[in-house]
Amino acid sequence: MPVGPPYLSARVLRNEDARLLTGRALFVDDVQLPGMLHVAFVRSDYAHGRLKSVDTSAALARPGVVAVYTAADLGTFWKPGPLLVPPPPISGLVFHACTQVPLAKDKVRHVGEPIAMIVADSRYIAEDAIRDVIVEIEPLDAVVNLEKALLPGAPIIHEHLASNAAAHVVQRKGDYAVARGKADLIVSRRFLYDRGASAPIENRAVAVEWDPRAEELTIWDTTQAPIPIRNGLAKMLGLLESQVNVIAPFVGGGFGPKIMMFYPEEQLLPWAAMRLRRPLKWTEDRQENFYATTQERGQVHDAEMALTKDGKVLGVRDIFLFDTGAYDPYGLTIPINTQCTLLGPYEIEHYESEFTAVFTNKTIVTPVRGAGRQHGVFVSERLLDLSARQLGIDPVEIRKRNLLRPDQFPHNHDIMFQDSAPLIYDSGDYLPTLEKAAELIGYDEFRRDAQPRLRREGRHVGIGIACYVEGTGIGPYEGARVTVEPSGKVRVATGVGTQGQGHMTVFAQLVADALGVSVEDVRVVTGDTREFHWGTGTFASRGAVVAGSACHAAAMLVREKILTLASTVLEAPKETLDLKGGRVLVRGTDRAIALGELAAQANPLRGAVIPGTEPGLESTAYFGPDRGSTASGVHAIILEIDVDTATVNIKRYLVAHDCGTIINPLIVEGQIHGGVAQGIGNAFYEQLHYDEQGQLMNASFMDYLIPTATDVPPIETWHRETRSPFNPIGLKGVGEAGCIPTGALFAQAVEDALADLGVEITEIPLSPNRLFELIDAGRAARAAREAGASAK
Amino acid sequence: MILNGTFTFNGPRAAVWDLLQDPTVLAKALPGTKTLTRTSEDHYEGVMKVSVGPMTAAEFKVKVLLKDKIEPEKFAMHIDGKGGVGFTSGIATITLEEFPGPVTLMNYTSDVQIGGRIAGVGQRLLESVGKMMTKQALDALNHELQSRLKT
Repeated sequence: MPVGPPYLSARVLRNEDARLLTGRALFVDDVQLPGMLHVAFVRSDYAHGRLKSVDTSAALARPGVVAVYTAADLGTFWKPGPLLVPPPPISGLVFHACTQVPLAKDKVRHVGEPIAMIVADSRYIAEDAIRDVIVEIEPLDAVVNLEKALLPGAPIIHEHLASNAAAHVVQRKGDYAVARGKADLIVSRRFLYDRGASAPIENRAVAVEWDPRAEELTIWDTTQAPIPIRNGLAKMLGLLESQVNVIAPFVGGGFGPKIMMFYPEEQLLPWAAMRLRRPLKWTEDRQENFYATTQERGQVHDAEMALTKDGKVLGVRDIFLFDTGAYDPYGLTIPINTQCTLLGPYEIEHYESEFTAVFTNKTIVTPVRGAGRQHGVFVSERLLDLSARQLGIDPVEIRKRNLLRPDQFPHNHDIMFQDSAPLIYDSGDYLPTLEKAAELIGYDEFRRDAQPRLRREGRHVGIGIACYVEGTGIGPYEGARVTVEPSGKVRVATGVGTQGQGHMTVFAQLVADALGVSVEDVRVVTGDTREFHWGTGTFASRGAVVAGSACHAAAMLVREKILTLASTVLEAPKETLDLKGGRVLVRGTDRAIALGELAAQANPLRGAVIPGTEPGLESTAYFGPDRGSTASGVHAIILEIDVDTATVNIKRYLVAHDCGTIINPLIVEGQIHGGVAQGIGNAFYEQLHYDEQGQLMNASFMDYLIPTATDVPPIETWHRETRSPFNPIGLKGVGEAGCIPTGALFAQAVEDALADLGVEITEIPLSPNRLFELIDAGRAARAAREAGASAK
Repeated sequence: MILNGTFTFNGPRAAVWDLLQDPTVLAKALPGTKTLTRTSEDHYEGVMKVSVGPMTAAEFKVKVLLKDKIEPEKFAMHIDGKGGVGFTSGIATITLEEFPGPVTLMNYTSDVQIGGRIAGVGQRLLESVGKMMTKQALDALNHELQSRLKT
């Protein structure tokens, strides 16, 4: 059923779906150009080794092979990539930038690192030629385990450094020693959070065309940041930014790794296309994705919480290791997110957090949906659960006692966030969300009646409730241009790329409301530098907040132009004009003009205009918030464990959350559903297993489990809207909300379900295998206890 | 990957020893071996085709070096294989003991590292493929031994 106007907060169906669902959307691999050549990469089989020689002669001799390039062939183009996010100004911070290289030169540092690039008539030939290239590598011992990596005598990955430590950061709030001194209870544990893949449905791809006559380079790229890619490539290739077009068409899932810059493939295809004067294409295959696309999550935490006997948290200390992989191009965004998100929605007076980022011989780590936030949430939520149990306080109750109150906003945590600004929560009201989540999941009733009954029946059913905050919508800025065309349709162009979020709908809703047109008549173009070339990209749950606000601002400027011109044309004061149904109407009369006609009049072919008049009904605007806005929420779960098979059946999953003003509940719910599915994968299925030599042992979907439709339950959602003061519409981001607390929640509910076995969960991901081991250990321990008791 | 085991040959130790040093016999016995030649004393080179799960007929150039030989009791094989889908390298130690019959009991221990793409997709199958190939090879060698002993 059609909805709106107004479209704000309406369940508007997605504008982009007709194209996506009928297979007419353009993805990079759909790009076919005459004379196109295809590219494949020779990649390292070793995690760590000295690259002695690369013999490409046999590959070059293979019919159909056009070129083979190694690091030596790149000349001065060979440079380590840029440091994307310089570390924030935190005092005492140590950071060693070692960014990835386009092709390995004298050392290989992870399996899958590219060594040579093959260009051939077809991908088949290029793949065959991979086997012709003779690569001589002298293997070195690999650095895999985070703690061993820092031991004296460990092999050094970047040999100009004294150790494998990439960074060391300490942030303090208050004085943890004071908290410790006053505490009635101190709970400390070691927590592990292992690696996972982002596993998008579309792998990475790059297609390039160099037009030697126009001297223009066009790149189709599955990037989340088309504009920075364009600017960076122009610089590397010695071109003007205006000579380079980057198009990120429809992209089948980003989740963070597609904002890594610059992937070797992204850099090398344009370089080679210009040399060969032929269009080139490379599409990552699924196996390459496991090695060559960035990953996330490996952290080891030693954390403790100091509390009063009433369950009030006095302070937290956390010391952790963060696995950055073979290089660290993304700086410290992930561990700083972890550090900052650990405080969650709670009032924590004393906090001390120290981390060491560690180089390992594994695929590079950059943000993946959640981007380190889930680790912080896992640590604080687990410590709260463990404390609650020791103090005999209900898990929901201990959270209630520690939540920030509405009168504490804006709340300054006195530490530095990833955007180099202090960690300040703009607004929030956490208690009602927690109470609502508890009510909707039937918490009290479950604890009082259902659970004891189920336990008597021998069933293992557990409940969990976990809170989180999500720093979203950070700067610096995005922009948009809004144009009313003579057809009456409206065109919107913005710089962010789209990977399925629904930008073409939510931006259209904001513009349609401002201009009084139908949402279907607003055509949004994203991620095409030919259309809009200022902006940064899609990351940190900021598209709706920052680009959305820019679209709104540009539309309001166009609205003003419409009113000014219509006032002249219709001979009526602006205040008497309404914008409705694609027309400007004089209130209380039948005088009106269609927007298209007005647009035509705004662009006359002859005659004179008032000097200074801008043609058309078009405006461009930019939006940059003071700082990010803090979304928040509570997830609740009821799950049942079959203790014989260690399978988990999620019976209910509920998300009560607050992302400020909601533009489109359908899309917000979609984001949450997707996030929860990814979170469930993260909690119970997805884990990248490396052996001691840095070989990835499950680089395929046969062995790397992702949740399927049957593993993801129906997800109930409840929205609360606390407007952000940092943008005119009151928006907060929601892109990562679904996956941030899922691990912590899952652990809590599994523990609750297995209470009779005394199983404690301090690691994520779990897996059916791992859970089986834990259940077994719990049974053995119980049997020993019972034997001990009966012996007495 | 660690593969350890024992196998009983129906023949005297000296005959088993000779068999294990003969590249033409080994080429026939080792599954997937396309060529195997002795390049110098104790050095062998060859080409093997192996199928592990989705990696069908993956070709490896294999170099074998025999070391620590104590005839006819014991030797070690240093194996180095490289191919388009990855590499394998490791050491296998073989001891032979003769018992009345005569039969020869072979004890083998091997620790082989597998790397590259084959490690990524074949992992859960590697051990079973390794065991299967070992068994096929040893059965074939025993069969060859029987025909040698008859003549």
